[in-house]
Parts: sequence; C-alpha cells; structure tokens
Amino acid sequence: MTETPFHDKPRTSCALGGALAAISALPDVVPIIHAATGCGGNLMNSVAFGAGYLGSSYCSGASAPTSAVTETEIVFGGAERLREQIASTLKLIEGKLYLVATGCMTEMIGDDAGGAASEFAEAGEPVLAISTPSFKGDCYTGYEILLDGIFNRWLRKAGAADPRLINVFGVVPGYDPFFRGDLEEIERIGARLGLKVNTFFSPTQTFENITAAPEAALNVILSRTRCRGFAERFEEKHGVPWWATDLPVGPEATDAFIRELAAKLGIDGAERVVAAENEWYYRYFERTADSYADGELRFYSVTVTNSNYALPLNKYLYRELGWTPAEIFVTDRLEEARREDLLAGFAELPVKPRFVSGSQEIARSIDQGRPVYRGQRYFDALTPLYIVGSTLEKQMALRRGAKYLAVSFPAYDRAIVAGGYAGYRGGLRLYEDLIGSFMSAKG
Amino acid sequence: MGKKLKQIAIYGKGGIGKSTTTSNLSAALSSLGYKVMQFGCDPKADSTNTLRGGSYIPTVLDTLREKGAVKARDVIYEGFNGICCVESGGPAPGVGCAGRGIITAVELFKQQKIFEELDLDCVIYDVLGDVVCGGFAMPIREGIAQHVFTVSSADFMSVYASNNLFKGIKKYSNSGGALLGGIVANSMNAGYSRDIVDDFAARTKTQIVQYVPRSITVTQCELKGKTVIEAAPDSEQARVYRELAECVAAHEESRTPAPLELRELQEWAAKWSDKLLELETGTVPGGQAAGI
Repeated sequence: MTETPFHDKPRTSCALGGALAAISALPDVVPIIHAATGCGGNLMNSVAFGAGYLGSSYCSGASAPTSAVTETEIVFGGAERLREQIASTLKLIEGKLYLVATGCMTEMIGDDAGGAASEFAEAGEPVLAISTPSFKGDCYTGYEILLDGIFNRWLRKAGAADPRLINVFGVVPGYDPFFRGDLEEIERIGARLGLKVNTFFSPTQTFENITAAPEAALNVILSRTRCRGFAERFEEKHGVPWWATDLPVGPEATDAFIRELAAKLGIDGAERVVAAENEWYYRYFERTADSYADGELRFYSVTVTNSNYALPLNKYLYRELGWTPAEIFVTDRLEEARREDLLAGFAELPVKPRFVSGSQEIARSIDQGRPVYRGQRYFDALTPLYIVGSTLEKQMALRRGAKYLAVSFPAYDRAIVAGGYAGYRGGLRLYEDLIGSFMSAKG
Repeated sequence: MGKKLKQIAIYGKGGIGKSTTTSNLSAALSSLGYKVMQFGCDPKADSTNTLRGGSYIPTVLDTLREKGAVKARDVIYEGFNGICCVESGGPAPGVGCAGRGIITAVELFKQQKIFEELDLDCVIYDVLGDVVCGGFAMPIREGIAQHVFTVSSADFMSVYASNNLFKGIKKYSNSGGALLGGIVANSMNAGYSRDIVDDFAARTKTQIVQYVPRSITVTQCELKGKTVIEAAPDSEQARVYRELAECVAAHEESRTPAPLELRELQEWAAKWSDKLLELETGTVPGGQAAGI
C-alpha cells in the first residue's frame, strides 16, 4: 500500500496546556504564564475550541497574564521579567491563588521561577510556581503537576478529617471534554449518599473546596492511568487514603461505584441510592426499548479516546447497549505499567485496546487483521459500524458510511456545555447523543 | 592571505590560555600587516583585554539590552595596531542562556555584513571552553568560521576537552561547518608534553601548528594589560607567536578530525600514564632528558 503523505492534528497538548486548562476551571485561581510569547494564546485555542467550544474564563485563555519572554530574556534570564509580571498581576487581578506555570524556553534556560514565586509567598502573597515545560510531558502530565503543586505543596495539613468529605481527581479539564458534567454527576451521586464532594473543577465549586481538600476522608481517582503519584504524595502529606477506579458511565458501572465507595467509607445507604437511581434510570430507558430493538440500533463499535474514557465508554456500549466492540484505540501516551493497569480493566470485554494515536494508523488498523472476502457466504463486513471518537475520526466515518459521535478531544463539531456521560444521568445522555447523532438526518 | 576573508575559531579548555594565544595571534597577524578582528565569544567578555591595555569594552549583548538594537560599528573598539575588538558578552553567571547570547551576537554581525565593510583579512573567534551547547558551536557552523584551532596543553583534561571539540567539528563537518586546522600546543615546557600532544594529534589525524612554551614574559606582559607582541616584541615568546601567525596566515586546508571514543581516550591516557611512570622510576632510560 502506498503511503499518502498527510498531516495529523494533535489529540493532546503540552504540560503547560494541561495545567492552563485546569487552572481556567478553578475558581479564584489566576495563572501567570512564564513562557515565550504565543504559548498562552496557542494553548488557549486548544481547549477553547477543541473541547466542545469550552471557551475561556476569568483571567484564562487570551486574558491570562504572561511574562511573554523574548530574546532578551532568553539570553539574560527571564526571572526579573517574571517578578515584574507577578507584581503587576497581584496589583491588577483579584485572585486567591496565583499560579506561575512555566513553558519550555524559560525552563531550558533554567529560570528560577520557583525562587521568584517564593519571594512573593514569603511576603505573604498566595503565589506558587509549577514547572510545566512540554518536555516534561503532555497535557495529562500538566494536570498532575498542577494538582501536585496546589494540593501537595501549597496546601497546609488539615487539623481534623471529615468522614463525610471526599475529593475527586483524575478527570482532566478540557482534555476530558465532559469534565464539568461528569464531575457534577459524581457530586450529585455523592450527595445522595450524604457526602460532601470536592470536585474542584466544576462550576458548583468554590475556592473553599480547594482549601478543604486535606480534611477529606478519601481521594477518589477516576482514572486507571493518571494521578497515582499525586495520590500517593497526597496521602503522605495529608494522610488521606486513595482509591483509583473508573469514571462510572451507565447504571451497572455506577451501581458498583456507589457500593464500593460506601464500603470504602464505611457508610450505609448504598442500596437505597442504587434502588432509587435505577428506578429513575429505567423508567426512562424502558421506553427506548421498542425503538431500540425494532429500529435495529445495535452496532459494531470502534472507539478512539484517551485512557480515561476508553473503559467506561466501552463497558457502556458493550454491557448496557449490547453493541459489539470491534476496535478500541487509546490515544494518550502511557508508561508501560499504566498500560498494564488499563489492560487489566478490559478483562471482561471481548476486545483489548490498542495504543495508537495517529489518525492514519487508526484508519488502517480498523481493516487490518479482519477477515478478507474469499467468496464466503456470510462475510463480516463490520457493518453497521459506529465510530465513537474525536472529530478527527469524522472523515474516516463518512468514508466508511459509519455512524459517528465525537466524545473525546478534540471535539470541535459539537458544543459541550453542562453535559456529561457519567453516572445514571450521563448514561441516558450518552444514549441520546449516540442515537440522536444520526437520527438528526431524518425528517 | 589576499582579500579573501579568513575566519578562524579558537577553542580549548577553560584556563588553558585561549585568550592569551588568541590575542597574541591577533597582534602578531596585525604586525604582519593583516587587518584583524578579534571576536570574544565568552560571557566573561575579557578576550580582548590585552589588546586594549587591560580595559574592558562594552559588549554586543549589553548594548543590545540597553538600546534594543545594535549597529555592529558601535560595538567595535580599536585595539593594539588597529585590531577591531568585539566582545559578545552574555548574561550574569547562573542565569539566562549564554549559548543563545553567542548566537545572537554572531548573527547580528553576520547580518550587517560588517566584515566586508571593514575590509578585514581575518576574524578570530575566541570561544569559551568546551562546546557545552549549540550556542558555543555557532562559530563552527555553516557560514561562520572556516578553520578551527584548539589550544591544548598535555594535561589530560585539556586533551579531553579538545577531543570533545573534535566531536563537535565532526558533527557539523557534513553540513558545511568549519574543519580543524590543528592544535596550538600550549605550556610546552616538560619534554614529555610534546610527545603527548604529538601522539594525540597523530591519533586524531590532525597536526600541531605551534608549540608555545610557558613563559614568564607572557605573565609580565599580561600584568601590564598587553600582549607579548606589543610589550616585548623582541622576546623569544613574541617570535613563537609570530611563527604561529605566519603558519595560520598560510593555512589553507583544514580537515575533519578523528575524535577518540571515550574508551579509546581512556586507554590512550592509561598508556601514557604507564610510560611516564616508567620514565620516572628509570625502568626505561631517558626520564631526565624528558624533563621528569
């Protein structure tokens, strides 16, 4: 097969990008970018458009303060420029925490951003620096670096623990495009169990959720691949144990999540919540049964997502909707041990994920390894096919005549606001979106 | 040399005598009638001191920082016998990127075509120590210097630094970078030191362009802020530098060196260690003659 030269759009951004997207979702936290001119703006565009038109927020995106270093700072050092920027930001912009996030160039020349931030911190200003050059990793790494900075360096140890308070981490703002809706559903479910839930990054939260985090009884990490080190260091500093699980999508996964969470915390009421939520869920879902069964709405599925969404999404498609997983592509860069962690979760599924991020390789992989037509009477043509991925899969889906929905980054052919696919409500929304996306052609 | 501009870069381990050698070479070339520029590529900015009575000159980068733009002419200062003195300068120790500073300063001169304007015969870049990053390799990249000379003593660390430089030259040699003219063997007093640098030159397929002895005359002149050529033109040391200048002026063809791998270099050093020990203990005769 002749290779056609092509260029591919990215499915991630750099550590600074991940940190900035996350900061933009934290109330009263102001970023100060210590990087070259252009970094802040370009990274803003990444999630402002690519995460379902997430846009920007107070002092994020195009309004983010930046040292915007140029050649003079590169040659002579940019720490002075940074000090100046921190001072003017403190003067002009209200905030409860100012986070200096570094880019590649200032890290390459060894600017002491931490030292500059410390000078302000020692003078009583809430300023903290995190080291987020792209060579440290991608946006997911940046999210973890940010968490480490705020929770494991900046926050002081708490006095007493609150047995009814939990923290939720692992859902990455922007690069998990449904982060707000997903976190709010987890918060809602927690509240039904009588818990207070710090999710930090959704609009229901305030800065006080951040400062209360060390008092939590449990850190819930909604990711098999992210935040391990962060959670361990959090436990070491604040004494809060952690539990890594998957984002629950749909009733079966959410039932299990509720039961396990209640058991971890030693609280009652799980069965009551599960029963009530299932009652609600199935009173909606049962009415879809006729159209679903008679309308031939079952598909082969190909998913293209990051490692956070791969398992929750495929479990839902396979176990809740009865679809047939054909291929599962995981697009983010993972260490071998984290791949193993993720693979372990796929034991019950008939297909194991492949770790591929290039669009061309994904398109080719769908056909490779499949039976080729040799005059068989019944031929597995992989139809009807549904591709659940990012907007980068749209053209491939159109070429194959497959149904298609964007759920992963970059998703720029749909708007995502308060929606999410987590829990019971998210499960119904995912059904609506999957079926609605192609039904919209009718009429 | 004619009017074809000859651009030379001088490298070597820190403290080995690069600036002393370079300044005396510039002064000697100038006294032979060539129009010379000495371009210090070191944030310390002291390469041209002995050409200007021991005084420091404003650097390209300091001027750039203060004024935002630099006209090359404004940062060229006249030294001994009309030599054009330039210092790239750089950041304060421990901050910024000195390597990028060298690139900025050298590019600025290249863009303004000042060498042609000044009708120079020779530009000599005196470059800081080891080739620690891309910035310090700037003078040996395409379109800047044609010839590189390294200043080295017989000390192992100096030879090691030269070998690293050879690796840098070899790396850029395929893309039109400068090639190696040879080694200026410095501090050549003990008899065995010549043998060591000769052997290293042979192993790395290069040549020794001059043997420069360690001399009190150099120290005396430098304390006065002058080169030997200026302050002691009739001394033996001045003759040595003039010979070096003639050799450099006549030098046309440089080559790609054959740097040793680390293991080879270690084996080479161990062999010399054994040999010196044998000379010292008298296991082999000739120790006294070799200066041991």
